[in-house]
Amino acid sequence: MDQPLLSRRTLTRRHFLQATGGAALAAGLAACGGGGGSGGGSSSKELSFVYMGTAEQQATWNKLFAKFTEQHPEIKLKAEGIPLSNWGDFFNKLSTRIAGGQVPDVIQIATEGQRLFASKGLLAPLDDYITKDKSTIDEYYGDMDPNLVEWDKKYASTDGKTYYLPGEFNTMCMWYSKELFAKAGVPEPTPTWTWDDFRHACEQIKAKTGAFGYAAGPEYFAAIMPWLLTNGTSSFSDDWSKPTYDDPRVIEAADFNRKLVADKLSPPPGGTFDATTAAAQGKLAMFGGGRWPIISIRNLKATAKMGIVPWPVKAGQGSPVGWNGYPILKASKKKDDAWTFIKFLISKEGSSFFAQLGGTIVPARKSVANSQSFLEDAPKGTEYLYQALSYATPIPSPDKGAAVQKAIEDGWKQVLTGNASSSDALGKAQTTLEGLV
Amino acid sequence: MTDGATIRAVVNTFVFALASVVTHIGLGMLLALGVHRTMTRGTKYFVRTAYFFPFLVSWAAVALIWKYVLDPAFGLANYYLSTTTNWLASPTWALPTLIVVDWWHTIGYTFIILLAGLQTVPAQLHEAARVDGANAWWRFWSVTLPVMSPTIFFATVITFIGAFQIFDPMVIMTQGGPDGATRSIVQYTYEKGFQSFEVGYAAALSLVLFVVIMVVTGLQFRLSRRWVHQ
Repeated sequence: MDQPLLSRRTLTRRHFLQATGGAALAAGLAACGGGGGSGGGSSSKELSFVYMGTAEQQATWNKLFAKFTEQHPEIKLKAEGIPLSNWGDFFNKLSTRIAGGQVPDVIQIATEGQRLFASKGLLAPLDDYITKDKSTIDEYYGDMDPNLVEWDKKYASTDGKTYYLPGEFNTMCMWYSKELFAKAGVPEPTPTWTWDDFRHACEQIKAKTGAFGYAAGPEYFAAIMPWLLTNGTSSFSDDWSKPTYDDPRVIEAADFNRKLVADKLSPPPGGTFDATTAAAQGKLAMFGGGRWPIISIRNLKATAKMGIVPWPVKAGQGSPVGWNGYPILKASKKKDDAWTFIKFLISKEGSSFFAQLGGTIVPARKSVANSQSFLEDAPKGTEYLYQALSYATPIPSPDKGAAVQKAIEDGWKQVLTGNASSSDALGKAQTTLEGLV
Repeated sequence: MTDGATIRAVVNTFVFALASVVTHIGLGMLLALGVHRTMTRGTKYFVRTAYFFPFLVSWAAVALIWKYVLDPAFGLANYYLSTTTNWLASPTWALPTLIVVDWWHTIGYTFIILLAGLQTVPAQLHEAARVDGANAWWRFWSVTLPVMSPTIFFATVITFIGAFQIFDPMVIMTQGGPDGATRSIVQYTYEKGFQSFEVGYAAALSLVLFVVIMVVTGLQFRLSRRWVHQ
């Protein structure tokens, strides 16, 4: 679901639903809605699918599509990968197209956009199809962490209908350099390690090797949410209606991170520090990541040097999660073909492919996530990414996602740089957030 | 809350635009004079190209290059200045830093305009002034500047308008931070319109931008009657 993020700075997993997308989308809907489908709908000859993928990934996807065409020669699939680096831009581009009357049949939509797209009435409910193909769907859901199914219902719909089949996802774990831990004589982290253990490891490694312990950053998904969730709090209330960014436990988490920067256990934020490369070169002991750092780590030939472990804990285990959903557009004229295609995407065969897809995402199927195709040539502990689903929290993504993310990250940045006290900076961000929801 | 942020953005933009005009015209003039007077033909070509070159590079690339230069941990700037300043994250330094980066990027354009202006100054006038015993400073003040005044006027107007619409370096290098210290009007318009969906507010802001540019440019034209040589 994620793009291969090449540096820590872009780790914001998603720069989110930039509202450009939302705004254009809304405008497009207004334009389309009145016309009663004039110009809407896809071309009747081909089934069109739009997804986000770099040129490199598209090559892999094309193999998957070839397989689909082999199985279903009667369906002419026209898949289009849009090479953008964040979901906001992707939704923006898509909305412009929809506004212009080019409506695809199936789209790949990440958590950040799911509620927005569903609430705008763009999508056709899938419930009838699910009832019709009960055995297939039951088999799929049975091979998946039940949480994913439940979240998909709870967060990706506003009216109780099912609009998306949940697909592959990302969670957050801590990546660490086994080399540096060994050099500093610090035992490798265990799945139940605490914030104190983490801090202690940073100090030891800094003192004995001079390397940075952790790369603190202001990225909402990758560097803020894991600390909040392991401290028993979050950026928003459970239904995303109320920001909770001035919660004392949020402030505590921010202070903990600030202290890492102040004590030079982390490089100063706002620079161009590249965490993956630094870790591979033995200049950084730990950085947060989902599946996506694997590309850089493989390119740097450092898979064997790295390990993955659940995020250190203060109040309890926690991780954010975001996943891809596959909806059928309401304006689609080939809904049955679209359903066949979605069923193919979630099939075991389709799912195995995702495992090899440049490795930026975790497959939704347990059986695939635990298979060699996913665990091979990956750091020790890669299985924790799937296990994190059992205690993860969907990334809070209210409608004004881009503005929300900016407020959250700006506040955090102020704390990290030491420009403002945590209660001031986060209190101010909280006020901004309250104005946004 | 929004009012405070709007005022801050307007103030930032004015500070940026004023600093930009002063540094572009002042230092641009010095560069142009230096290149025009003291150099051989070959060096002149080289230096002219060198100064103009950054202007050809897109803002995105310029911003990224400077982010590396200004990196707090391993940037060249801190290495040579022997400091640990976090230039882009400090409320004091962020805006001045962007002014410097903007200067580096766009000075080539002002410089070329001013250089072209310098070359229009007729040599006979200088000759005549020299014969009359005027020293270099005096010749510059009474011959070069008056003849060049339309060029300087043009450069001032263009620089101001360009600077007032500044957007790219803020978005790429500081995201308007820290705490709004570098947020410009255009950036704020973008945030309001496309991130918060307050399209009406964004439209109002863009109108403010238009009015400010119109009024200031109008004022410049009005004042120009006093000093621009017709």
